[in-house]
Amino acid sequence: MAAKKNKKQKREDYRAAMKQDDVLTMPRKKFYRQRAHANPFSDHQLVYPPHPDQMDWSTLYPAYVAQEESQPEATPSSTTEDLSAPVKVKKLTQDVEVADIGCGFGGLLIALAPVMPQTLVLGLEIRVSVTQFVEDRIKVLRRQNEESKAYQNVSVLRANTMKFLPNFFRQGQLSKIFICFPDPHFKARKHKQRIVSTTLNSEYAYAVRPGGVVYTITDVPDLHGWMVQHFEAHPMFERVGVEEQEGDPCVEIMRNATEEGKKVERNKGEKFVALFRRLEDPVF
Amino acid sequence: MIVPYHLLQASGSVIFAAQEVDILSFNTSMEHLSTWKYPVKATETPSELAADAEASATVEAPPTPEGPPTKRRRTENDEKEAQAGDAGTPNSTNGQKKGRFHNKPQPVNLSNEKPFINCLLATANGSHVIAATGSDKTIWVFEHDGSGNLKQLSQRAMPKRPCSLTLTTDQKTILSADKFGDVYALPLLPSAEPTLPPTVQSLPSRSATPASAPIPFKPQANDKTVHTKRNLKALENQKISMELSLKAAAEKSAEESQPAFEHTLLLGHVSMLTAITVAPGIGATGEKREWIITADRDEHVRVSRGIPQAYFIEGFCLGHEDFVSRLCVVPGREELLVSGGGDDDVFLWRWKEKQLLGRANILEEIKNTIEPELTKVAVSRLKGLSLASGETVVAVICEKIPAVVLFTLVEDTLKHTATYSLKEQGVPLDVELLPNDNLLVSIDTTEGKPDAAAPFLVLTRNGPDSWDQKPVVDVPAGETELNGEEMQKLLYTTESLRKMSDFD
Ligand SMILES: C[S@@+](CC[C@H](N)C(=O)[O-])C[C@H]1O[C@@H](n2cnc3c(N)ncnc32)[C@H](O)[C@@H]1O
Repeated sequence: MAAKKNKKQKREDYRAAMKQDDVLTMPRKKFYRQRAHANPFSDHQLVYPPHPDQMDWSTLYPAYVAQEESQPEATPSSTTEDLSAPVKVKKLTQDVEVADIGCGFGGLLIALAPVMPQTLVLGLEIRVSVTQFVEDRIKVLRRQNEESKAYQNVSVLRANTMKFLPNFFRQGQLSKIFICFPDPHFKARKHKQRIVSTTLNSEYAYAVRPGGVVYTITDVPDLHGWMVQHFEAHPMFERVGVEEQEGDPCVEIMRNATEEGKKVERNKGEKFVALFRRLEDPVF
Repeated sequence: MIVPYHLLQASGSVIFAAQEVDILSFNTSMEHLSTWKYPVKATETPSELAADAEASATVEAPPTPEGPPTKRRRTENDEKEAQAGDAGTPNSTNGQKKGRFHNKPQPVNLSNEKPFINCLLATANGSHVIAATGSDKTIWVFEHDGSGNLKQLSQRAMPKRPCSLTLTTDQKTILSADKFGDVYALPLLPSAEPTLPPTVQSLPSRSATPASAPIPFKPQANDKTVHTKRNLKALENQKISMELSLKAAAEKSAEESQPAFEHTLLLGHVSMLTAITVAPGIGATGEKREWIITADRDEHVRVSRGIPQAYFIEGFCLGHEDFVSRLCVVPGREELLVSGGGDDDVFLWRWKEKQLLGRANILEEIKNTIEPELTKVAVSRLKGLSLASGETVVAVICEKIPAVVLFTLVEDTLKHTATYSLKEQGVPLDVELLPNDNLLVSIDTTEGKPDAAAPFLVLTRNGPDSWDQKPVVDVPAGETELNGEEMQKLLYTTESLRKMSDFD
């Protein structure tokens, strides 16, 4: 008991210390580990905006906050005074366009940051302390690179993407979604917890603009088969061909930069990649 | 205590009212016409039930022409045990511990297992009535002779418990929104030939994969067009993935026992669905189209295209900060939608534009006239009523609140017209429109003054916002006696949608 408490205390002390403004050393994973699975169906104490317009991105991307030029007040139209209570949030100069769903310890974000320096990239992760790790990691990287302003374009957010993607992103806001080494949920009974399914793919199709791409990678053959099957069965996606896939620099990063990808590499496991293009909206 | 009439559905000059598992019909003077009784297996006795806890969870299915061939149906408890699965189980409704096997016979909470009608609707022309019963997850379709007599045509047990039903505008397809978050389309009249347009695509479900595998992916390069070693490797992998995908499909369809009747997965939320409705509109090409609007426990109102493009999400009407439990498309103003749930307000939307037009504060209205101390409301009924006077009224009932709150649609706003107090009578369960713009309200009399107990009240308007009330006393009383707790559990399920967890 005492030992356990001690460990917990250490964790807390460590993480509190990481909050200091001058920390320049990278956070250490062992103080942020968490049970591997969080049930995506239960009500977590999650924070999410009721509407994407009410999302305050300014704390996540402080370098991209738009200069306040006397924002036009929400026009008080007659009787409807507090319409969706237009919470005033600071606007960014540009929107998040790339999402890493289930970003884990953030390896992909860090690797993408310099590759797409003009693009805002967001990691979404359901586990609290894992999210905290990535947050601290980015904080330190930004501090270490104050001059070059690197890593200002990546950030992380705690979220259950299976439920709340539309609370963060407007229709067609994203150009790319990455789903890297998602939890396999081997048992048939747990398949419904998988982060790819045809019904969920409708939400990915909603958030990704026509021509945008969903990137998937896994080392679990059956899960790969599942993801391919469910995306191909969805009328809004088509699989991207081999040559285009292999010509995409993001694919190489996805193979090698994520923590899971590295683990698979160490164990000499196979990695299965599949990309799916969001098709044009059908006429209705 | 006798179960009150908890669901009302007018159809021409007939009023249908659900009482536990039975459906009674009345004429517009509220004279009883006919009763359809749920076919219950007669031999179940409590002692038998106690002897075998597992078996007691069984609701013996009456002969099912198109139901699954299994004798034993999965019931709510099984479902909860299997539960990683529920798309969001309300916190308070389930006192049972997880665990599939009980070693010892245990006292069984019968109320958990009781089938109970939780949806009731009729086709526009009154030719058919549709009901859903909880716990046995069954959708029932009846032929209606126009005089209140129901003839059961079909009984279909769904994969998960239906929470809300609606019909497509052509009245030929039932849409069922379930607890697991999925929406299925079923032909109103099951037949040998599929009645759904062949273009309807069934999506592979999160838990199941359709028997027919999708068209396999063809690797988009062949050995000749791929030059580098890495590309070759990738091509190999794409071939593997094709096989894997087919394998996944085959495995799943072998594993899952799907209902044998025609049912098509249209769309799904990863959240318990609470309401579904269909709204007509005009498509991009100027043709008549329809949209499917679904609401969930996680504050979402989603607008999807109608069949055959239900996989396409048009957008979300976002703004609710608590669960959404009810939706209604405004009759005569079908471009407008009202949504309500655990928030203080009901919301008025121009759903196609996903534009919030206004909010009407229900909590304030109720505090003003009924319960000054009230801190929250849970909307349990939301009905758009098209009065003969030309007015459009939205009637709102909040769970366990002895009042019916009425709003009138004035252009693009909801104007509060009346909060009809039923403090002396009891808690209203449902409301429906009668001829001459009278309102029929069904009452849970156990929540009111027993002396004044009348299962129905007719509200007659005698001024712009004043109503006379007339109790309807002479109606058949239900037969099943339930204790107070059981009744509460069956009748009042809305507030339990509210989240109260504070864990990670
Ligand atoms: C096996 S890890 C892979 C992490 C990372 N992408 C990588 O490749 O190293 C899967 C991650 O997805 C997260 N996750 C699972 N379900 C999620 C959900 N519904 N929303 C957000 N994140 C989720 C898990 O917490 C876990 O960190």
